[in-house]
Amino acid sequence: MSSRISRRTLLRGAAGLAGAGALAGCSSDGDAKGSKAATTITYWDWYASQAGWVDKEIKLFQEANPGIAVKKTTQVSDKYADLVSLAYRSSNAPDILMVPKSPQLSQQISQSWLMPLDKWATDSWQGRFPENSFVEGVDVFSGKVYTAPFAAPAPSLQLYVHHGVFKDAGLTNADGSVKLPKTWDDVTSAAEAIASKSGGKVAPFGFGNSTNTTLAWWLDLFVRGAGTPGGAAVGGIDGMDYRVGKWTFGTDRNYLDVINLLLEWKNKNWFYPNSMSISDEQARAFFERGRFGMTVGGVWNQPEWTKHKFTDYSLVTLPTPSAGDPKALFYGPPGGKFVAVNAKTPHADEAWAWFDWLYSPDAGRRWVEQGQGLSVYAKNNDPKSVTFAPFAQYVAMSGAAVVGPQPTIRNPKVSAVQLPGVKPDINDVLAGVYTGQLKDPQAALNELTDKMNQALGDAITKAPGVSAKDFTFADWDLTKPYTTKPGA
Amino acid sequence: MVMTATVREDVARSEPPRSAGRRRARRRTYLWSYVYLAPMMVLLLVFVVYPIIASLGYTFYKWDGIGDPSDFVGLDNFRQIVHDSIFWRSLGHTFVYAAFVVPIQLVLALALALVLNNKKLRFASFYRTLFFLPVVTSAAVIGVVIQLLVSNFGDSINSVLLKLHIIHQHVDWLGDPHFALGIIILVGIWHTFGYNLVYFLAGLQTIPEELYEAARLDGAGRFATFRYITIPMLRAVGVVIVILAVIGTFQIFDLVQVLTSGGPFFATEVVNTYIYHLAFGGSNANAVQPDIGLASAASFVYGVLLIAFSVVQVVVLRSLAKRRGTGGLA
Repeated sequence: MSSRISRRTLLRGAAGLAGAGALAGCSSDGDAKGSKAATTITYWDWYASQAGWVDKEIKLFQEANPGIAVKKTTQVSDKYADLVSLAYRSSNAPDILMVPKSPQLSQQISQSWLMPLDKWATDSWQGRFPENSFVEGVDVFSGKVYTAPFAAPAPSLQLYVHHGVFKDAGLTNADGSVKLPKTWDDVTSAAEAIASKSGGKVAPFGFGNSTNTTLAWWLDLFVRGAGTPGGAAVGGIDGMDYRVGKWTFGTDRNYLDVINLLLEWKNKNWFYPNSMSISDEQARAFFERGRFGMTVGGVWNQPEWTKHKFTDYSLVTLPTPSAGDPKALFYGPPGGKFVAVNAKTPHADEAWAWFDWLYSPDAGRRWVEQGQGLSVYAKNNDPKSVTFAPFAQYVAMSGAAVVGPQPTIRNPKVSAVQLPGVKPDINDVLAGVYTGQLKDPQAALNELTDKMNQALGDAITKAPGVSAKDFTFADWDLTKPYTTKPGA
Repeated sequence: MVMTATVREDVARSEPPRSAGRRRARRRTYLWSYVYLAPMMVLLLVFVVYPIIASLGYTFYKWDGIGDPSDFVGLDNFRQIVHDSIFWRSLGHTFVYAAFVVPIQLVLALALALVLNNKKLRFASFYRTLFFLPVVTSAAVIGVVIQLLVSNFGDSINSVLLKLHIIHQHVDWLGDPHFALGIIILVGIWHTFGYNLVYFLAGLQTIPEELYEAARLDGAGRFATFRYITIPMLRAVGVVIVILAVIGTFQIFDLVQVLTSGGPFFATEVVNTYIYHLAFGGSNANAVQPDIGLASAASFVYGVLLIAFSVVQVVVLRSLAKRRGTGGLA
C-alpha cells in the first residue's frame, strides 16, 4: 500500500492520457483535410452508412467552392434530436444540419432554430423540383421555405432473402434462381425448409432489436401488405389510419394476425435466438454470413453489404396474406425535409451554397448511383441506369410507395398539434409480447390504441382551429396516390 | 489524561480575551479553510443544489425541454408518476440490483481483502491493481464489450452450457427478461468490486498486528481471530462501506443503458434509466417527445424515497450499534 508515484511518472501518465484523448477526439469528425478555405461551415447529420456519399459531395463541393470548407459531424442517430436540442440551448448549433425528427418541425421553427430560405429559394429555384414539393405544414411554414424534399417516396422496408441459405434449403425455381416468397404462406414455407434442411444450424429469420425498433419493422411490412396503411410507425402522427383519423392497433385485425404469425415463428425457434439483444448492424453482419435466411430492413443495408462484396441476395416488399397485390402501400407526404440552415449562422450564404449543392440534381444522381436510395428528381431514378441487381430491385419497387393524405394541407393549423409520446409504444408492446412479458397481445394493442387516440384528442384541444375531422380522409384509396385538397 | 484535558478546557474558558493579533491569526486560519472549501462549495451549488431546485420547478410543467416551460400542470406529473406501473417496476429492479450486488460484492471483497492483506503473498500489489482495474474502466466500454461478447460468443457459451445440461435451450442473455437483469447484476458486481476491496484493505491495515499476536499466543485459531478481532475492528469501516455500496447501487445507470437500455420491455429498467428515457425521449431510435417535467417529477419522487430509505438505514444501524454498546454508528 505504500507504493508512491513520482512526479515524473505522473506527468508521463498525464501526457499519455492527453495524447490518447486527442486521438479519440479525432475519431468522430470529418472535415476538409488541409483546406485553406476562408470560411468553414459546420454540418451535422446522422448518416453513417451513407457517409461515403456525403464525403464525396463535400469533396466535390469544396473543389467547386474553394472559399468554403465543410466540417461534417456525424452524430449517433438515436441521440441526434437530443444533441441538436442541447446544441441550440448552448448556442453551439451547426450552421447547417439534417432536420431532427424531434421536436416537430413547426416547433423548431417557432423556437427560431431554422432560417427561412426565401432569399435564395426563389420560385425559379423551387421550379427544379417536382410539382407539389413545397407544401405548407411540411417544408413551408407561414409561406416561408425552411427545407425541401430530397428523396422520392420509396418503400422504406423490404424482406431481404439470402440466396445461399435459400439455395441450400432447395428453395429454387426450375431455372435455378432463388424462389422468392410473396405471401405470408410463402415466407412460412421457406422458413420451414430452411429450418429442416439446415438441421437447425441456420435460423430462417433474424433481426437486431437492441435499439427496440427492428421488431416493429416486421409488423409494419406485413400489416401493410394485408391492407393496414398505418403500419407500425412511432412518433408524430405517422402510423395513423387516415381513413378513420385514428390509430387502429386494437381494432384492425391485421395487427393481431401478424403478431400471432411472429409468435408462431418464434415458438418454432425460427428466429435467430439472440435477435432481441444484438444491434441492427450485427444482424446485418450475421445475415451476410448466412446465419439466417431472411431479415427485414431498408435500402440502407445495401451499401455496407456492397462494401463487403456481399451481393448474393434479393429483396421483396409488402408480402401479402394471400396471393395478389398488396392491399396497402408505403405513404409519404408531398414535399419533404432533409437539411435546414441554422437561423443564427454567421455564414448564411455559405450554408445556403452547401444546402443548394446537396439538393442539386447531380448530387441526387450520385445518391442513386451509389445505391443509397431514390432521388426526388424522377430522371435520376431510371432502373435502366442502375447496374447493381439488388438496388435495381429496390428501384423497380418504387411503385410500392405513393403520396398519402396530408392533414396540414387541408388545415395548416394542424402543424401546431404537438402530440406527446405515448409509452409503452408499439415497439415496447411488441418486445413485451415477443418475450412473453405481455400475455394478452389484443389487450396490449387495445390499451395502446386508447392511449394514442386519447393523446391525439388532448393535443387537438390545445391547438386552436384544429379538429379530429382534419385527420380523416374517408375517400382514400390505399393503392393510389392521394391528392389532399386545401380546406376540403 | 482525561483530567488534564478537562483542566485545560476550564483554563481556556476562564482566560481573558487573547490579544487582537492572535484573533486575527486565528481568523486568517479560518479564512483559509473557507478559501479551500470554496471551489467545492461552488461546484456543489452549481451542479447539485441548483439542478435540484430548478428541477423542482419543472415538476409543475409539461415541458419538452425546448424554449421555456409554460404549460403549467400543477401536480399532474406527480400523479402520473405515482400511477405509472413502469416507474414502480423500475424501482423494484433498482432494489433487486442493490439487494444482490451489495451483499455479494461485500462478502467477495472482504474475502479477497483478507487474502491480499497476507504479508507473505507475493505480487500482492499486482493483484490489487488487477482487481481494481474494472473500477477505472468506463462503464460504457465495459457495456459495449460485454454486449459484444454475449452477442458474438453467445452461441458458443450456449453450446457449452447445453452440452453440460446446465440449460435446456438457447438463451439470449441480454434479450431474455429472465436473464438480462441477472447479467447486469453480475457485471455490476465485477465492475465496482475493486472499490470495496480497497476500502476493506485499508480497514484491515489499521488493525494493530499486536492484537493478532496476542490472540495467537492465547491459542486462538484463524476463525477465532477473524471472528473476535477482524470483524469487530472492521465494524466502523464496514458500516461506511455498506452505506457507500448501497448509495452506489442506487445510482446504477450507465451499465443498464449500455447493455440493454432498460429492455426488453422494461425488464431491466432501473429508476435512473427510466428518468433518462422520460427526459430524453424514449429508449429507442424513434423520435418520442421528451418530457422534462415528468422526468423531474420522477427524480423528485425517487429522491424522497431514497431519503426515506437512508433515514431508515441510519436508524437501523444506530439501533444495532447501541445494542452492541458501541454508542454510535460504528
